[in-house]
Amino acid sequence: MQPVEFAWLIPIFPLIAGLIIGLFGARLKEGGGYIAILGSGISLLLTSVVVWQVLDGSFDLADGIADGIFEQSRSWLVFNEAYAFEIGIYIDQLTALMLIVVSLVSTLVIIYSIAYMGEEGGRKRRYYTEISLFVGVMLGLVLANNYLELFIFWELVGLCSYLLIGFWYHKPSAASAAKKAFIVTRVGDIMFMAGLIILFTTFKTLNFRELFELDVSGSDLGLLSIGTFMIFGGAIGKSAQFPLHDWLPDAMEGPTTVSALIHAATMVKAGVYLVARSFPLFVQTPDILLFVAVIGGITAFMAATMALNNPNIKRVLAYSTISQLGYMMLALGAGGYLFYHLHNPEGYTASMFHLMNHAFFKALLFLCAGSVIHAVHTEDMKLMGGLGKKMKITSLAMLIGALSISGIPPFSGFWSKDEVLATVFEAGELHWIFVILYILGIATAFMTAFYMFRLWFMTFSGSEGEASHHAHESPRIMTFPLIILSILAAGSFLVLFIGGGFGSQVFFEEPHVLSGLEIISLTFGNPLTYLSIVVAVCGFALAYAIYYKHIISPEIFVSTRSRKAMYNLLINRYGFAAGYNAFAERVVYGFALLCDAFDRYVIDGIVNGIALLLVRTGNYARKIQTGNVRFYAVIIVLAISIIIILFYLAGGLR
Amino acid sequence: MIPMEYFLALAAVLFIIGTYGVLTRRNAIVVLMCIELMLNSANINFVAFSAFYDDFRGQVFALFSIAIAAAEVAVGLAILLALSKARDTINIDEVDALRW
Repeated sequence: MQPVEFAWLIPIFPLIAGLIIGLFGARLKEGGGYIAILGSGISLLLTSVVVWQVLDGSFDLADGIADGIFEQSRSWLVFNEAYAFEIGIYIDQLTALMLIVVSLVSTLVIIYSIAYMGEEGGRKRRYYTEISLFVGVMLGLVLANNYLELFIFWELVGLCSYLLIGFWYHKPSAASAAKKAFIVTRVGDIMFMAGLIILFTTFKTLNFRELFELDVSGSDLGLLSIGTFMIFGGAIGKSAQFPLHDWLPDAMEGPTTVSALIHAATMVKAGVYLVARSFPLFVQTPDILLFVAVIGGITAFMAATMALNNPNIKRVLAYSTISQLGYMMLALGAGGYLFYHLHNPEGYTASMFHLMNHAFFKALLFLCAGSVIHAVHTEDMKLMGGLGKKMKITSLAMLIGALSISGIPPFSGFWSKDEVLATVFEAGELHWIFVILYILGIATAFMTAFYMFRLWFMTFSGSEGEASHHAHESPRIMTFPLIILSILAAGSFLVLFIGGGFGSQVFFEEPHVLSGLEIISLTFGNPLTYLSIVVAVCGFALAYAIYYKHIISPEIFVSTRSRKAMYNLLINRYGFAAGYNAFAERVVYGFALLCDAFDRYVIDGIVNGIALLLVRTGNYARKIQTGNVRFYAVIIVLAISIIIILFYLAGGLR
Repeated sequence: MIPMEYFLALAAVLFIIGTYGVLTRRNAIVVLMCIELMLNSANINFVAFSAFYDDFRGQVFALFSIAIAAAEVAVGLAILLALSKARDTINIDEVDALRW
């Protein structure tokens, strides 16, 4: 028996842990927190073994494997021979990458939660139940071998995020943020479902392998385009891409650990994973790929601008997540476009590499932010400051995270961001739009460095803020995950140099095996690399000048009227939140009123009218019943006479 | 032999008299008697057809109908007795307890 054959157990353990905590958590230590660690820890262990087998190559020996893909399934919903759904697992390099990222980050986050959520008392049981469920369904989503199964887990991920964002449901803001996350992503989910229906009716299957091996041409290609477009709609909602990005900053209402999980490993990564998983379908539809890239580029740029001036430490990180997810989509779109025209599959690898690195440094950043919030009991960076001396480990870890996300070499964020930008630049030769997207990407890199160091300087350097007097370093159970994640955030780029490199493990169609020396010479032999480094350093320098040296006062950004207007536009999220509210209030509520009126007057009118008619006729008809025997006799005689006459006329009596 | 039409005419006359009585009389006993008239007119038809077609089944039916009429009258008179005890009247116009 091969370890990979037990891969279906991976999501089962956290789900069982969730069940146990849900039933008996009140009687367990720490509200069942240790059971939750155990659940995802076993998954991590099992994942490691399975991933090792995938990387090792001994995987090819197992049963049911073809082309480096392991698939196990059994039929589940069988309508007839042609229409059958199945439930099963599908393991390739992409699955392996996602599995290790999800289970590793989740385990660290849950360990961290033991201290972070330590003061929640009786509500801890709910927290650990939901978080175990969250991890389990995300692992299930990653392992699914067909779109229907993926969609089921996709919805469950949405449900879990709803429950966790609304963890402090007694706060109205948390309750409405949870609803917003649920409803906004639902818009994408409806599109996703429509896409699945189109795919299923066109190709009669939702199994990944069968769909990917189809030879699509002619009119089916048009339907495939619509299908992939709709699937991307689902990804837009889940991954908080423009224009459905607005729920993610609000989702900060949940506990910080939940934010870390949502941003690093689960929820929002599901959208990127979906597009990456459907990549064989997307590469057949270049127009949709262009659309994916454009949405990604716009999202990356716009979210970064909104992070520039936000005073809330978690919201800055939330915008930065949206921005980085935009990068991943941009890389997928540009990479797919390149592949369609030149058969160059590197964009896919770049995107997945960025996804992995982002998972580590974003989890790190959020957990650091959680550590800070735990110490100062506020999320407002203006009240922080000077925490560097009091929280050495946290400040150092966050510095590593900031350096990594800003793309300063040699931290891992640099390598993946550079690959993403290189892919977009290369695609620029095929279509002018990619040139613009490249410029947006470079601008985003500048802004990323700026806002990350703004955050760091505002929080950890300078004089003590109002809230930081009694701050002290977090307990060891919180700093331990920080240290692990710091090492990963700084060093996950090393996978580029192990064996044939990242591209020989996670790739599309053909592996690109590069030795470490080749990667270094390719990266640093390219002038574009220096451009992105310079841009990142400029962002850092600007933040340094404003928030550390105070050479430039931040006030200049609001000094004139037009700058103030710009500032307000960014703080108000380009009016998206207000726009959605206005849309909901005017259009949706108006439509609801119309429906209500229709129901009240037309539907109820018809029903009441019929009832009234019957009552009225009944009122008249009951007077026939006189109780007078002779009257009845007359009626009978007349009736029989008429019947006989009619019979006679009809000839029945002759 | 007396022609068939005579019997039928007699039966029709009897039937109409009976019907008229049922529709116009208020005394329940008279109404019962009129119903008997109607039944008898039917019996005359039975017997007449039986004689003309030389078939005894008509006479058998007439006997049945006389027996049933007797039973019916027995029931009817019993009801009327109960009615007169309860309501002190046998005027059918005053008995409309079944009305709504």
